[in-house]
Amino acid sequence: MSPVLHIAANELRLMARARVAQLAIALVVILSAVAALTAISQGRESQEIRSRFQAQADREFDGQPARHPHRMVHYGHFVFRPLPALAGFDPGVDAFTGSTLFLEGHRQNSANFGDVRQSSLLVRFGQLTPAFVIQALGPLVLIFLGFGAIARERDSGLLRLHFTQGVRAGQVVLGKAAALSVVAGLILAPALGALAWLTLVGGAAPVAALTLAAGYAAYLLVWVLATTSISALAPSSRTALASLVAAWALSAILAPRLATDIALLAAPQPTRLETDIAIQRDLKKIGDSHNPDDPHFNAFRASVLKTYGVARVEDLPVNYRGLIAMEGERLTSSLFERYAERQFADQRRQSGMALALGLVSPTLAVRSLSMAASGTDLEGHRRFLRQAEAYRYAIVQRLNRLQAERLTFSDDSKRNSDPEAGRRVRIDPGAWRQTPDFVYRPASTSEALGAATPGLLLLGGWLALAGGLAWAASRRLERAGA
Amino acid sequence: MLGPTAAEPAVEIRDLRIERGGAEVLKGLSLSVSAGEVYALLGGNGAGKSTTLAVLMGLLRPSGGSVQVMGLDPATQADAVRRRIAYLPETVALYETLSAYENIAYFLGLSGDRPSRAEMDAALDAAGLQAGARTRRTSGFSKGMRQKVAIAMALLREVPVLLLDEPTTGLDPVAASDFNALVGGLRERGAAVLMVTHDLLGAADCADRIGFLAGGGIVEEVRADDGLDVLALHRRFGEAAAG
Repeated sequence: MSPVLHIAANELRLMARARVAQLAIALVVILSAVAALTAISQGRESQEIRSRFQAQADREFDGQPARHPHRMVHYGHFVFRPLPALAGFDPGVDAFTGSTLFLEGHRQNSANFGDVRQSSLLVRFGQLTPAFVIQALGPLVLIFLGFGAIARERDSGLLRLHFTQGVRAGQVVLGKAAALSVVAGLILAPALGALAWLTLVGGAAPVAALTLAAGYAAYLLVWVLATTSISALAPSSRTALASLVAAWALSAILAPRLATDIALLAAPQPTRLETDIAIQRDLKKIGDSHNPDDPHFNAFRASVLKTYGVARVEDLPVNYRGLIAMEGERLTSSLFERYAERQFADQRRQSGMALALGLVSPTLAVRSLSMAASGTDLEGHRRFLRQAEAYRYAIVQRLNRLQAERLTFSDDSKRNSDPEAGRRVRIDPGAWRQTPDFVYRPASTSEALGAATPGLLLLGGWLALAGGLAWAASRRLERAGA
Repeated sequence: MLGPTAAEPAVEIRDLRIERGGAEVLKGLSLSVSAGEVYALLGGNGAGKSTTLAVLMGLLRPSGGSVQVMGLDPATQADAVRRRIAYLPETVALYETLSAYENIAYFLGLSGDRPSRAEMDAALDAAGLQAGARTRRTSGFSKGMRQKVAIAMALLREVPVLLLDEPTTGLDPVAASDFNALVGGLRERGAAVLMVTHDLLGAADCADRIGFLAGGGIVEEVRADDGLDVLALHRRFGEAAAG
């Protein structure tokens, strides 16, 4: 057996005989296993709930009685974002952004019903998911098991005994790192099991699952190498422990919180209220279809009359009120889209800033990779918002078109004063059933991989840095002669 | 034990100079240890005794002079030198949760050796560790018991050179005497033993030669054959260390 493997095997035997190590490993493996099982079961449950509610919302919309189409525009429709197959592994921003949208005419609503909004504040602290266990708790266990691997042996004289047996410092560092890697493997194993399940049974993309597995393995390896190197470089085991715990607190606890704050400061976004006021102000500028002197709608009416070759709206072959509704929706929707894209751009700047901070924290790097590969990053949320908005616009315009084509201007104008006209403007409910259902299209595998690439590259950089640190630690240990 | 040839000493140090932190710790130390010889290097605290051992193990590079262990230069052939020496520190460090057998198997395994239980028993018998203690975790071992485990390792490795760093410090007189007898046994097996110590009585008990290290070099060397007057040596040693 090579000295490296011999040292690794002995280190594992020492861990197996140390009660604290047994307890720490058992605890984190149990937590990881519970998180993995929870991920599988919650993912399935959450998906079932969303599917059930979506089907119910579709049924209720389709089951509406005969009505004026504009009533249906305001009756609205609920759409639910289907849970990505890997969301149980890493819920990402899903718990904060919400997964349900109420779609209606003239309005663009925010997503609702995120877990955080429905739960106690403790949810914000961190959910017990495989991602959380590996990102936050995994490194801590590696630190507690590995900080003394070399430092303690140098303090006791055991390290010198190794050197006098002809062992090189690099072999000691590698052997200790190899043993700690086995612990990292134990921490990772339940999560890998969950990924395999979510892929084979849950329908997750194998490439995305493999990306997650590779990313988290690289992340834990960074901590393994860093822990072993600091243990070799620190003047004492106590200093090694203090340095490593400080690095963990900075990377796994402080940096993710600071990243959010720094990103918000760097690319501030207006509040919802400010945005609503601004939109209302802009809406007024666009025009008012009820104002006979409104320049935009006067021009629109002139254009319609000219197109149909008539002098009055009453003479049009279509219901002018329906055309007005369509034009109004087109204008408000383009305004909403402009504001939404501006907001998305701000969010992208914030995400970029948070990702850049991955240069100072491997946890931020793996978090970015994890959310992207799981499809639970902000881009996934924006994809849902865009598709939901496109769907909202399509069904509202479909209803407005029904108003324009199936109703007469005359009936529509006196529907409130003439009961007969009011009855005639009600459209057969079959029209609602013909409205297509919302079908969410998740990101393709290549898109998800593209989104995960920056995090993967950052982790690669961290791995190279940790490898360099291990090499430097070996050199220094060799020179110092323990 | 693999004994060196009679023609060349197992350990040879000539005009060794060591600088640490700007100060010269050793200023031309010269000594040699032959096969089947025990050399005790005596000196006060900070005299450079342990530094000398570190140089012999290739853990420190000399700033001047030459050092040879079994004809090899530790500064450039550290790995080869370490395969030929056994080192016993002042306090022998062992893995506390492993037994004596497991510690021996592990440390010997680092250089690819896989001694059988019978071979380990033979070495532990020679080192004098009680049979009942061999399967126990070493966490409860006394300093003497730890030394016996380390000596057994050295015996199993059949190294020609043993370096002992303050081996009897902290031992009670009986254990110290046992240890000195053990060192005598190593000599009988043909090993070259260099022992650094400030225990004059112990040195006189087991060493063939005693060198007094002071001021960075050997100020006096005496042979056991010449008949040792320990009290007179103690006086001269004290004067040399003070002067």
